Amino acid sequence: MTPRLTSTAGLPPLLACLGLLALWELAARVFQISGLPPAHEALRQLPALLADREALFNIADSVRRMAIGFGLALLLAVPVGLLMGRSRLIAAFFNPLLMIIYPVPKAALMPIIMLWLGVGDASKTLVIFLGVSLPVIYHSYQGARAVEEKMLWSAAAMGMRPLQRLVRIVLPAALPEVFVGIRTGLVLALITMVTSEMIARQAGVGNILFNSLDMALYDTVYAMIVIIGGLGFILDLLFERLRAWLVAWAEPVHQIAVGTS
Amino acid sequence: MIAIEGLSKSFETARRSSHTALADISLNVAAGEFVSILGPSGCGKSTLLYIVGGFVPPTEGTVAVNGKPVTGPGPDRGPVFQEFALFPWKTVLGNVMYGLLERGMARSKAEERARALIGLVHLKGYEHFYPKELSGGMKQRVAIARTLAYGPSILLMDEPFGALDAHTRTGLQNELLDIWERDRKTVLFVTHSVEEAVFLSDRVVVLTRSPGRIKQTVAIGLSRPRRRAQLLVDRRYQTLVVDIERLMDAPEEAP
Ligand SMILES: Nc1ncnc2c1ncn2[C@@H]1O[C@H](COP(=O)(O)OP(=O)(O)OP(=O)(O)O)[C@@H](O)[C@H]1O
Ligand SMILES: [Mg+2]
Repeated sequence: MTPRLTSTAGLPPLLACLGLLALWELAARVFQISGLPPAHEALRQLPALLADREALFNIADSVRRMAIGFGLALLLAVPVGLLMGRSRLIAAFFNPLLMIIYPVPKAALMPIIMLWLGVGDASKTLVIFLGVSLPVIYHSYQGARAVEEKMLWSAAAMGMRPLQRLVRIVLPAALPEVFVGIRTGLVLALITMVTSEMIARQAGVGNILFNSLDMALYDTVYAMIVIIGGLGFILDLLFERLRAWLVAWAEPVHQIAVGTS
Repeated sequence: MIAIEGLSKSFETARRSSHTALADISLNVAAGEFVSILGPSGCGKSTLLYIVGGFVPPTEGTVAVNGKPVTGPGPDRGPVFQEFALFPWKTVLGNVMYGLLERGMARSKAEERARALIGLVHLKGYEHFYPKELSGGMKQRVAIARTLAYGPSILLMDEPFGALDAHTRTGLQNELLDIWERDRKTVLFVTHSVEEAVFLSDRVVVLTRSPGRIKQTVAIGLSRPRRRAQLLVDRRYQTLVVDIERLMDAPEEAP
């Protein structure tokens, strides 16, 4: 990446953000709704929120749950998806299950899960886990299915056993597609993190957000939304960096967001 | 060395009846023999190599290598696929070393050997390129080097020079003959080029249009080592090429 490229590549996203803020500020001034404070008032809350130990603790708590749910989901979903892609039997077993679970909004399961596991970490982590698992399974499955058979044959001719081939040929060959699923999973992890905390209020980003909403602290509400958005942006940016580094060898699957390629 | 007996292969096609790709192939290839397979597109040449490689089971018949029935792939039979099938996450060097490391060779030794083979296929300087950064012909050469690297005693080559320009092609034909003269590997070589088959082979097997049967086997009695420049003006070479071309064009007798 040349220095010239980095300095101009950051410009369009910056302009987009500024444009959005300007629109928000304008809308707030024009419509004068109490539920829509002007952008500058919400943004003024940001330093206070980010300096507040309590708020920081809640953000960290949310991120911790998200990381655990996300990590566990990857540990399960990638192997399941890859196995499905290479074995018709395994695919025939899992496919109907996934078809049933896929369209259900995971947050809608939250009240039921809370009956089993309570309002604590376990329920929220499980919902995040479910939200992340499905796209990762799906894309791992597609990626594994598309692996060129002759690649596996070449490895077999070198004496590689089937299970080894799954780890050392299918996994790397499917990796670009797996990463597409993981990126979707990352966004869903963030969404399910917030909604789970909205339903099971106890701690976390969603808890602050919705408690502030109840107390009509609208500038805090919007400041929290900005923080969540920023969190998503940073996580996605870090993930794209990791991906670009790990699968630099691959033909591009999709063009990555402007400026990060 | 390779004993193919009464081999047939049918595929269950998604729509309707089964489709016969190969019918009643019997062929013996001696150790150190170079046999080419010629035939129209879709007659089952690739399928025949896959069955000998152990990648695809036959519908009928048997294949034995050194007296042992083939039940799966093994490092004694090295395939070079029409589609290259390189590992895209590995560099040229990584691809060529792969089989050596897989066979348990120490890394430094494997790298040394891989570099020698990369030189042999004229890819010096491209060691750290990824497959996506190579042309079709270059990929093909990496695929050849990758298979030669781990030293299979039988080579199963499926149009390995198909994607090459005429100059590189003749260059690699000479390299292949040199390698073959040196270690006398057994080679089953699929090609579309009659000249190439005659130039390289001890025997040429001509298959019929689908379903592929053996139409005729032609012994190539030209002396070795062969030099291209001499062969091109050799009457016997010219006659063989013309005869085989006629044979391929000849209408097929009813089975
Ligand atoms: N997996 C498969 N399923 C169904 N039919 C197949 C399959 N593989 C090959 N065939 C059929 O078998 C026949 C022989 O195919 P094969 O690839 O062996 O031909 P080929 O002689 O190598 O052709 P080419 O010279 O074009 O490479 C074809 O008619 C093809 O349609
Ligand atoms: Mg073929």
